[in-house]
Amino acid sequence: MFLIRPIAQADLPAMEALAAASPIGMTSLPADRATLRARIEASEQAFAATPTLPHDGQYWFVLEDLTQHQVVGMSGLKSAAGFQTPFYSFRNEMLIHASAEMGVNNRIHALSLCHDLSGASLLHGFYLHPEYARTPLADLLSRARLLFIAAHRPHFADTVISEMIGVTRTDGTSPFWDAVGRVFFGLDYAEAERICGVHGHKFIAELMPQHPLYVPLLSAEAQASLGQAGEAAQLAYRILKDEGFESENYIDIFDGGPTLHAKTAHIPSIAHRESYTLSARAAPAAQPDNYLLAHGESADFRCVLGTADRDADTLHVEPDLFAALRGRAGDPVWAVPFNLPKGAI
Amino acid sequence: MYVRSITAADLPALLSLARSTGVGVTSLPANEARLAARIEASLAASRRPAQPAASSFVFVLEDETTGQVVGICGLEGSIGEQEPWYNYRVGLSVRASRELNICRKLNTLFLTNDLDGAAELCSLFLHPDWRIDGNGSLLSKSRFLFLAEFPAFFHSRVIAEMRGVSDAEGRSPFWEGLGRHFFSMEFSHADYLTGLGHKSFIAELMPQHVVYVDFLPPEARAVIGQVHEATRPARAMLEAEGLRYGGYVDIFDAGPTLECELLQIRAVRDSQILPIVLGSPPVDGIPCLVANRHLSDFRVCVTPVAPDRHHVTLTPSQCDTLNLQAGDTVRVVPLSPRHRLNARVHSMETPS
Repeated sequence: MFLIRPIAQADLPAMEALAAASPIGMTSLPADRATLRARIEASEQAFAATPTLPHDGQYWFVLEDLTQHQVVGMSGLKSAAGFQTPFYSFRNEMLIHASAEMGVNNRIHALSLCHDLSGASLLHGFYLHPEYARTPLADLLSRARLLFIAAHRPHFADTVISEMIGVTRTDGTSPFWDAVGRVFFGLDYAEAERICGVHGHKFIAELMPQHPLYVPLLSAEAQASLGQAGEAAQLAYRILKDEGFESENYIDIFDGGPTLHAKTAHIPSIAHRESYTLSARAAPAAQPDNYLLAHGESADFRCVLGTADRDADTLHVEPDLFAALRGRAGDPVWAVPFNLPKGAI
Repeated sequence: MYVRSITAADLPALLSLARSTGVGVTSLPANEARLAARIEASLAASRRPAQPAASSFVFVLEDETTGQVVGICGLEGSIGEQEPWYNYRVGLSVRASRELNICRKLNTLFLTNDLDGAAELCSLFLHPDWRIDGNGSLLSKSRFLFLAEFPAFFHSRVIAEMRGVSDAEGRSPFWEGLGRHFFSMEFSHADYLTGLGHKSFIAELMPQHVVYVDFLPPEARAVIGQVHEATRPARAMLEAEGLRYGGYVDIFDAGPTLECELLQIRAVRDSQILPIVLGSPPVDGIPCLVANRHLSDFRVCVTPVAPDRHHVTLTPSQCDTLNLQAGDTVRVVPLSPRHRLNARVHSMETPS
């Protein structure tokens, strides 16, 4: 039995262990105790607050194994990326270099530093213990955030984004960084990621180019990695692509990984969720369906994955799910099918 | 050997010269119609009142004993009149973060039209068999006396584009590192099209945004502002005359553009007008460029001139060659910047 719930101070050791195991390039999850403690405090404040837009909510969720009393995954959600510091991306641009007289029409791929995604809500810090990577719990850990957004829609932006870790070499270095960032920062990739995780993104503006970068001038290795999600991000990437996120327009300025984006209203887990009346089921149903189920607001938010039996407006769930959600019979519960309808939105 | 204004009869000789230039002399394409037009433009320019925009002069180097044309050079009063003139400006972008103690100084290339409108020394070409006995100096520097004599025909800023680095097959490392990415075409073809006057179309295909030099391959970076090996003497010669590389390079091969104010060019500034005297050239004279002062039939040769006399002694044969009559004056300047005329007046002689 697994549960998604808001993070608490008691989770600090578990979070630390997860951060230490997370791959380089995950700037949102630095293996630094003080930083993590601050994150948890910020998260508790965010869940406790009743925000009025615009705000800077930094929510963290944990995936808890209720049987083992163990945290096995975590995921983060920011109500606004680049709320206090700008959120930088490279925008993919196609520049048309055409001359009818010369019979030439070239599409030149260029990268422009932009703030387009500032203010969008950000999914980040997705990390799951490798043991569970190939289970539906991965989808639960990622998509629970979407259900939270749906339940607190006015607190979040009209666009949701997520940065995917880009391609790295076996030694942890980044081909894209070596071709681009190193020129402007004069630093190793790991060092730059560390600085960015601790000092924020302010210095990017001071060091990064104001002019578009011409992709054909980059090394072949860097070009090949551009916009590609790295090995470590494949799971997070797959889940959000299933939610209809676009991957073509923006890339991370450090490692060249894709920055996914979607219109909040069009995300299936948000658009397809429906409200039911919660009920505990006595006997197993004949034709159970798999659902993501969410109950409670703010700090009381709980999300689980399990089977339920729908009867008109009532959803009958197994007693252990019912208990995990901390619901009472007759409460409203939000549900979205685990298997999303294909191409529905 | 002497340099003279081009005539309509020079077209066949000019065409055969152009065919032997190889890649890189963009203003002398092996194209008959284009060359004929250049000759016509030169003849027309000398019939009109001074107007830089309409000034396009071509001169040839002729062996007066055989009548053979072996070299060519040109002057443009104001470039970019027909279509925009493009250069890359080699600039510097400094990105610094005080907090992180990082300071990056990055060279940039920026497409500009900064030199549009300047006067240009162009089209210099001397047949390889004749690159002896100071013919190159005579051919190139003869233009300075024309500039000195007729400055009103030229913009006050004078530039010269130097051929950039390319290999024996005509491949330019700069082109391969930058230009090729922006449209699929061989450098030699791009160069040819430029000579035909299609430079602006090509420029439309080139990067319009700043290019950070660090993104270019090392071979391309290494040739920015560098001249082709064969052009080194020409560059040294122009630099000795006061022209300087000011950070502008060719958009195709990154060869440097040298520049100078017209009146600051040594051979312009130091030139003077002297009467001619018939006789034998002085045995101890210093080699000087001597030019008649005719706009439409300009002629220049090299002959020794006594530095302390206020006249130039020419043989009757030289007077014929320069189309001079008794009583005419000539414009004269030492061929080398190391020499001065009228040493008694100008005592600050440059040591050799």
